[in-house]
Amino acid sequence: MQSEGSSEKPLPAVASQIAPVSPARTAAATVASLVLPGLGHILLGRVVRGVVIFTSIAVMFVLGFWMKGHLYKPEMGEWLTYLFTFCNLGIGLPYFICYLLNFGFELAQNQAAVFTYEYGNTFLLVAGLLNYLAMLDAFDIAVGRKG
Amino acid sequence: MTHFIALIIFSALVAVVFAALSSEHHDTPDRVKYGVKVFGSFVLIGLAIAWVLYPLPI
Repeated sequence: MQSEGSSEKPLPAVASQIAPVSPARTAAATVASLVLPGLGHILLGRVVRGVVIFTSIAVMFVLGFWMKGHLYKPEMGEWLTYLFTFCNLGIGLPYFICYLLNFGFELAQNQAAVFTYEYGNTFLLVAGLLNYLAMLDAFDIAVGRKG
Repeated sequence: MTHFIALIIFSALVAVVFAALSSEHHDTPDRVKYGVKVFGSFVLIGLAIAWVLYPLPI
């Protein structure tokens, strides 16, 4: 037996926005999301969502450095650095800019002794992971799975 | 900066992104409610874990 009123429930307003885009645009939006947080959403017309994602992830990235965290790069024999590098890489272009400028990778003297050091690392790692989620979200929007 | 402030900032930023990416909340009020719920969950679970771990000699 159907519950009362279930057939009258209106469709979400977003249903009308779900429409797949071309494969080229899907690829462009997905790659753009990975290069810069929120850029893929902006390319797909979700400007507010893109700006919110960019702002949150950018603030998290900056705060990570402010809290004395550092970025990782792979080191032979240190298998955890591969995992952490993968997480950091999620932030996209800013990681490579830091790499080219050699900023944020080296530990200064007593940096690890600061109590916010691990918080900073966590902020930097999670910023990258959140951007992977944002990239998957942009892909889902582009192929028409989400609005 | 204190441990608690770091927890609050972390929870707020992650909650905002989760709310923006949620596929089950389609309009802004729904997303805001979901974000507040995620934020509260992070803070409460963080405090609960801290309370459980506090007596441990680590």
